[in-house]
Amino acid sequence: MRISGKLSRRSLLKGGSALGLSAIGASWGGRLLAASQLPDPQSVLDDISISKYVRADYRDLYGMSDDKPIWDKSKDWIRTADWEAVRSQLSGTTVRFAIGAADQESAAEALAPFEALSGIKVELVPIPDDSFYDKAIAEFISGNASFDALQFFSPWLGDFAAPGFLAPLDDYAAKWKLPLDDFYDTYRLNYGYFNGQMYGIPFDCDIQMVHLRKSLVEEVLGGPIDKWNSVPSYDELIRLSAELNGKKAGVAGVGLLGARGFWSTYTWEHIAAQAGMVLFDENWEPVFNGDAGMKGMDTLLALSKNAIEGFAGAGWGENRAAWLGGQVATNISWQDSGTQAMRPDQSQIVDDFVTIYEPRIDGGRFAPPNIAGSTSCVAANSQNPEGAFLMLAFLTTSSIMAMNEANANGVAPGYKSVLNNPNLQEVSQPAEVWAKSLEYAWCAPRLPGMFEMEQAIGNEINRALVGQITGKEALENATATVRNIMDRNGFYGGQPPVDYAAVAPGLWIGEGKALPF
Amino acid sequence: MASQRRSKGESLILRYFVLGGWALFCLVPVLWFLSIGLRPRTEIITPQPIYMPTFSLDAWHMIWKDWPMGYYLRNSVLAILGSVAIDLVLAIPAAYSLARYRYRGREDIGFYILSTRMMAPAIVAIPIFFLFKSMNLLDTVWALMLIYAAINLSVVTWIIRSYMLDIPKELEDAARTDGASDLRILWEIIIPAILPGIITAGVIGGIFAINEFLFTLLIASTKSAYTMSVALANFTGGSDGVIYNAIALVAFIAFVPVFLVVVAIQKHLSRGLTMGAVKG
Amino acid sequence: MIDTTLDGSGAASAAPARAGYRFRRRSRALRRAFPYLLVAPAVCFLLMITLYPGAYAIYQSLFYVKFNTWQFVGLDNYRDLFADREFWAALWNTLVIGGTALILECALALLIAYYAYRDPWVKGWRIIFLVPMLFMPSAVAFIWKLAFMDGRVISDLLMRIGLIESNIGWTSSVWLSRLTLIIADVWQWTPFLFIIFVAALQGQDEEIEEAARLDGASWPAIFWNISLPMMRPVIAVAVVLRGIDITTMFANVFIMTRGTPGGSTETISYFIYRIGFKTFNFGYASAASFVMLVITLVAAQFVVKRAFRSGRD
Repeated sequence: MRISGKLSRRSLLKGGSALGLSAIGASWGGRLLAASQLPDPQSVLDDISISKYVRADYRDLYGMSDDKPIWDKSKDWIRTADWEAVRSQLSGTTVRFAIGAADQESAAEALAPFEALSGIKVELVPIPDDSFYDKAIAEFISGNASFDALQFFSPWLGDFAAPGFLAPLDDYAAKWKLPLDDFYDTYRLNYGYFNGQMYGIPFDCDIQMVHLRKSLVEEVLGGPIDKWNSVPSYDELIRLSAELNGKKAGVAGVGLLGARGFWSTYTWEHIAAQAGMVLFDENWEPVFNGDAGMKGMDTLLALSKNAIEGFAGAGWGENRAAWLGGQVATNISWQDSGTQAMRPDQSQIVDDFVTIYEPRIDGGRFAPPNIAGSTSCVAANSQNPEGAFLMLAFLTTSSIMAMNEANANGVAPGYKSVLNNPNLQEVSQPAEVWAKSLEYAWCAPRLPGMFEMEQAIGNEINRALVGQITGKEALENATATVRNIMDRNGFYGGQPPVDYAAVAPGLWIGEGKALPF
Repeated sequence: MASQRRSKGESLILRYFVLGGWALFCLVPVLWFLSIGLRPRTEIITPQPIYMPTFSLDAWHMIWKDWPMGYYLRNSVLAILGSVAIDLVLAIPAAYSLARYRYRGREDIGFYILSTRMMAPAIVAIPIFFLFKSMNLLDTVWALMLIYAAINLSVVTWIIRSYMLDIPKELEDAARTDGASDLRILWEIIIPAILPGIITAGVIGGIFAINEFLFTLLIASTKSAYTMSVALANFTGGSDGVIYNAIALVAFIAFVPVFLVVVAIQKHLSRGLTMGAVKG
Repeated sequence: MIDTTLDGSGAASAAPARAGYRFRRRSRALRRAFPYLLVAPAVCFLLMITLYPGAYAIYQSLFYVKFNTWQFVGLDNYRDLFADREFWAALWNTLVIGGTALILECALALLIAYYAYRDPWVKGWRIIFLVPMLFMPSAVAFIWKLAFMDGRVISDLLMRIGLIESNIGWTSSVWLSRLTLIIADVWQWTPFLFIIFVAALQGQDEEIEEAARLDGASWPAIFWNISLPMMRPVIAVAVVLRGIDITTMFANVFIMTRGTPGGSTETISYFIYRIGFKTFNFGYASAASFVMLVITLVAAQFVVKRAFRSGRD
């Protein structure tokens, strides 16, 4: 995942669009076909295939072909949907889709098959990069949004859903049989639901993981890496990274995201979650400065001693470059650092890394962190909410998501049937561990003001990482700021905007489950 | 003139050590950055820097194939030409007024214009953002033209004013005797006489406009308004991370025309850069 | 050589003695209004980007802005701002980073100008030294981000000559992080001052120097005692102009450090940008904008006016 990418441009089927997709789009030429002239759905669906969507060089590299499907046909919504019913109800209508910046062409190409299947015309509304949030809000407020559907950074879900800017999707999901059960709970609950109602279809389904450089780590461990047992705990990762640090010239012990703002927050949350940290108690009082939060902070500070020299300024882009360039021996980042490291056009460590299970912390829990990610929603004032919903269902269908992963374009599938697919696991190194980990995922609640809070927490943690204040002070300061923001958002006077009971089930999916090994 | 100044009693070795050293400091990073633009991506960020990279035109192909570089160039050119045109239309009469008339409040007006040069973009960014939003101009080249024009108007006015002050009054008086109106004098005598000054002002304004970053970042959101300056930021946000070789090439594409134009007006540069205060 | 006055030699009065034929026939009022009319479009246009934003910032700064609900909070934003560690830090950082860069740039520009202006190849030097200035600031920020941070080039070179033993964590140290911003600024903008200083030195009266030479003064002494004092007004103007740009430093911070470590490289421009466009707390950002606007106007009155007037008497 790449947050700035999510906040801004691109990534919608980027890899695929460059290749076969334009051909698919072209074959139906004009848009707005009358229902009677629409092509046979089956012929359109047959073209949504590995040979047309996945980059040729990656197909050759991993021997991908349509004979080895990377998704489950029976769970692929576009192949189970009743397109004749869609056409008879909505053919000839229009859906406007807000899409980040530069990728409107590739999105247009990606959506051409949807237009052919449904008879619904899709208009793309380009939305500003850094002002995506602001522009979306402005349009929502005006009551006359220029778009029906949009895809955005999931921590904003609370900000958008609480004031009523988004349309509830429960009825459409039931009517069109969206395979919600195929989504891992952590994505369904946290990217899909707000306050007990469905507002989103999970789009980019991220998780943070720990990646190791195989050759270097095996040399230190004296044997092959076991994904569960070799680095069983963060204490071991601290020890290991210390030993790895500088073992090979120019290679640091560990890479992590320690830049100001949400980057630091996410890295700390990742580790603290393993110690049992929760952000709020049931009265919405911030409690992350407790023992678990401090344990996470101490662990992070200890790890940072062995970290690459630029960690305090590292956001996703810097961390990714250092990892793929071979500057670090272990790395704490999103799963796509694992997928992209397999691709020789992007990476210098192609066969020399492995993604492992989340290290544990004594007295803590196994809670691999589902952090950031993006979701897709329909505007409350949409003129064509049902058409918008169907378009999003098409874009997030499991076959297209599986091929995004095969293209390593950073848009990640959140489907059980995809991540557990053995053919997919061959082209996505993290997928196997990722699939098992998601059953235990941790996630921060989606609340109004959450993004602002994530920024504020990270600014304090960054100060601690560079030694300007202690870890304790950072969490105390952050707690005070977070309480202030929660207060401004109305969490303490009278009825809070979000019921704690509504978010509780999504916070840690692993509750009460036995460890996988 | 300068070359005639003798330099007896001074160590030439020291002189060329300092000048040569500074020249290296200026040029080495530039040449190294050029080498970044001409190498494959995988040789840029490595455990140890690579000084002898493989030659590759990957980035060159990428910026033209995968990115709407043509749009970025077009937007830059349109926004810059448009803003300079707006500036000249506003600044020439204003400079004429400041240079040629004596009236109450003239100094205050002159310094007000000058003081807008001090405005940090960040200070006015938020209101300007909402202003353009209410005018429906966000993400358009028109908004960029207006904002660049506003940023540079002070510079352009003061440079032109400085050149106008150089024109001997007799020239105008003669025309007045012939019955020419003030506006005709401005158009037929003053403007031709200070053409180098006008060009200098335009070039300086153009350079500042190319460099402008914050407003462009806020106003532009797609290829319909992205300029070269902010396009660079595009190579950092996406799922590909920071694409340094593409950044390097874009930087050089923007550099070459600016360099040529500036060399052409070199004689006037110091005067332009000081808003007319120093006559080189 | 220097003209910083508004009373240029050629200035005419509002009613030229022999006004043109058409002009003479118009009313006296119009004649008096004419110079104002000439300058009015420019002033109105500039008011759009100063007066309007100023008024808007003042108004918005009195609210807590959350979507379409603007909750009136009086002066709370200002109270919070003056108690905000990050705001004061941003002011201090701007001063420290900008001040250091400005002093370095000025000293270096004088040094190379001193050696260059009597050199026969001064034109060539000028073109070479100009190069960094003509790159887009955002590109320059990327050059130095890669050289210092991501690409480890500076660390590698220092290790090769044996000054250090391992890669330097530029973003972890307050002063090293500031240093990267300062070096990037010095690299790009010393030429700005250099061009101006060389022009000023070349414009000075050669005979004074020659006379001093004949009296047996050395070149450094002449430079120090004669040329430099004569250049004072030029230096003032150049430094003020450069100082203005330095205090609005944004692109380098945005691209290279984003305020790391712990906000020690966050300039006031970046602070306002971050509050406004990264946490969407527009009322608060407007309060900060307004405070900066006041500081700017005060500085404009004293510093800029004085510098541009200094050559008058």
